[in-house]
Amino acid sequence: MSATDSKHTILVVDDNRDNVDILRAFLESRGYVVAEAPDGKTALAQLEQVKPELVLLDVMMPGMDGWEVCRTIKNHPQFGGSTKVVMVTAKGAFEDKFEGLRSGADDYVVKPVDFKDLLEKVQRNLAARERTA
Amino acid sequence: MRVLGWLGDEKLSEALAGAATQIGAELTILAPPAGGARDEQLFAFLRTHPELVLAELRRGALEELRQETRARGIGLVVACAGEEEARQAVAVGADEWLITPATAGEVAGRLWSAAARARRALAPGQAEQVAEHLRYEELLYDRFTGFPTLPVMLERGREILERRGRLTLLYIEFVRYSKLEEIYGWQKLDEVLQTTADAVREFYDERRGDDEHVLMVSHTGDDDFIFFADLPAEQVERQVNEMAAALETHVRTRVETGHGEDIAGLFEIYVGTTTLFRNPKVRPERLIYRGIREAAAAARGVESRERSRKVADLKETLREEAVYIVYHPIVVTATREVYGYEALARGRSRALRSPEVLFGVAEEANLIWELSRLCRKKAIEGLEQHLEPHHLLFLNIDPHDFRDPTFRYLDLDELGVEHPERIVLEITERTAITDYPKFQGYLREFRERGFRFAVDDAGSGYAGLGSIANLEPDFIKLDISLISGIDENFMKQNLVETMVQFANDHEIQVIAEGVEREEEYEAVKKLGVHLTQGFLFHDAQQTRREPAGAPTRLG
Repeated sequence: MSATDSKHTILVVDDNRDNVDILRAFLESRGYVVAEAPDGKTALAQLEQVKPELVLLDVMMPGMDGWEVCRTIKNHPQFGGSTKVVMVTAKGAFEDKFEGLRSGADDYVVKPVDFKDLLEKVQRNLAARERTA
Repeated sequence: MRVLGWLGDEKLSEALAGAATQIGAELTILAPPAGGARDEQLFAFLRTHPELVLAELRRGALEELRQETRARGIGLVVACAGEEEARQAVAVGADEWLITPATAGEVAGRLWSAAARARRALAPGQAEQVAEHLRYEELLYDRFTGFPTLPVMLERGREILERRGRLTLLYIEFVRYSKLEEIYGWQKLDEVLQTTADAVREFYDERRGDDEHVLMVSHTGDDDFIFFADLPAEQVERQVNEMAAALETHVRTRVETGHGEDIAGLFEIYVGTTTLFRNPKVRPERLIYRGIREAAAAARGVESRERSRKVADLKETLREEAVYIVYHPIVVTATREVYGYEALARGRSRALRSPEVLFGVAEEANLIWELSRLCRKKAIEGLEQHLEPHHLLFLNIDPHDFRDPTFRYLDLDELGVEHPERIVLEITERTAITDYPKFQGYLREFRERGFRFAVDDAGSGYAGLGSIANLEPDFIKLDISLISGIDENFMKQNLVETMVQFANDHEIQVIAEGVEREEEYEAVKKLGVHLTQGFLFHDAQQTRREPAGAPTRLG
């Protein structure tokens, strides 16, 4: 774990409290700063306030679903280009990945989350972000 | 922060570039035009709201520049050749000035202080006013192109009508952009539209230089443009034709250099025109609105005349068998050895060069079976000459072809296909298959005779993996939109990975189409894609066999 990783802020968006707690504990143990939001609306407000480098976004949420939140984030005039979005979904279906591509998501992890896979994807997206910044 | 340099001096440009790096600003440099003409490019750029402008002192331009920058809260630094010029700069109220030559460090300092001053110059209430002004301007000028929008046009059009008693409208219609979006995705279409707008803008700027009569241009928000022109009545027709031809050539050349002939060959430009005369009984804005509708209808009229000419071209093509075939290699990803070739048909006549146009015209004219037959015949005729005995031949088949009785029962046998196992029929996912059971029946007949199948354009969005599985293909060809830029896009990698897994489970081979760069090749190789196709594997010899710039798809 390099020193720069510790500065990154990750916004976890999930309506399930337990999921958020588990992800927060894991990500904080790896040196990330974690912000959270229980729904899409709060997530969009958080985007402007905490300016996360990466958003872990649950697909199935009441109200605005994850795809819609993702599209909104990616269309944000200020943060859209620089915020990486990793979708978290219960299904591993092809159609879901396709929807991910269409909504502009950067990557994808399947629930139940495999931490090794999650960490790998968080790291590769943050690295890609550094390259293009 | 964005900085605009408006200067011709090379030394100063270098210093400014250094300064921009120092203060971390994005720099654009525009060269002032020779002579004293008003630089429209400069004022168009100001509408995109850079934070700072460094401008050379030009007689006549300074006052207006100061007004425009102040209205937007942009900081203005004036580069002066000596004390005298510096006094002038101060007199018009520049935020900062400097005397050339200047070092990068000095330029950076001046830029900083101008930025600070421009911020202070905004009185508390004024900030709101500036914001209001900007919103207003956005309504009046298209953000994409910088062209005035309809409200501005109406106003100026009315002026011309009243002054000259006459106004000519040119409506420029771009056709087939929707097809482009379908094939290459919206990002590509946006890029092409931007190029088109730039090209129209250049054309307009150039024309206006030596032609007093072309007055303005507007963008209708989608992909059409309207020119207002003030042409003498007796010349209207000739001038309009000349202008339309020149514009078409210019836009086509620009799109071709920017995006390749495949894309340039896809679309067509039609110009419709109408001339309005002042009528004191009718409100001028209504006259103009009607004029726009008339000109648009005229453009569509031209389009339909062109189309019937193309149908005539196609009939001639069929009679003369004027198509030629190019064979694009498909290689084994692991070894880069040639596995087979895809046959792609091109029309010999220029208007029908693009396969999209060629097949599009055939479909409209109800000649698709005839064209398909010709293309298959030509492709198979060239088989022995272009392919080694162990190479497979990939042929594009439209789902409609299966309803063609000659295709189903005679055609391929008559053509002397001795080894059906060497032929792979590609069925595009783009055409919706309505009657699955019947279609599967057709496929079975062919499969029993030894032919193999590929699903073409998979992942282009029309069908999921389920419907691909229904066709029981031997190959899946991944759509170009999934492959282009895959090395940088994890979502695309995820998708392709899933498709390769699916294919391996069903004993299907995956072909990646449209691989153009080594990085893309490395990415698909890592993902386990079995076969690969694309410009990266076109050797020089093969390119030479193709007439210059032949497009890439379909057959």
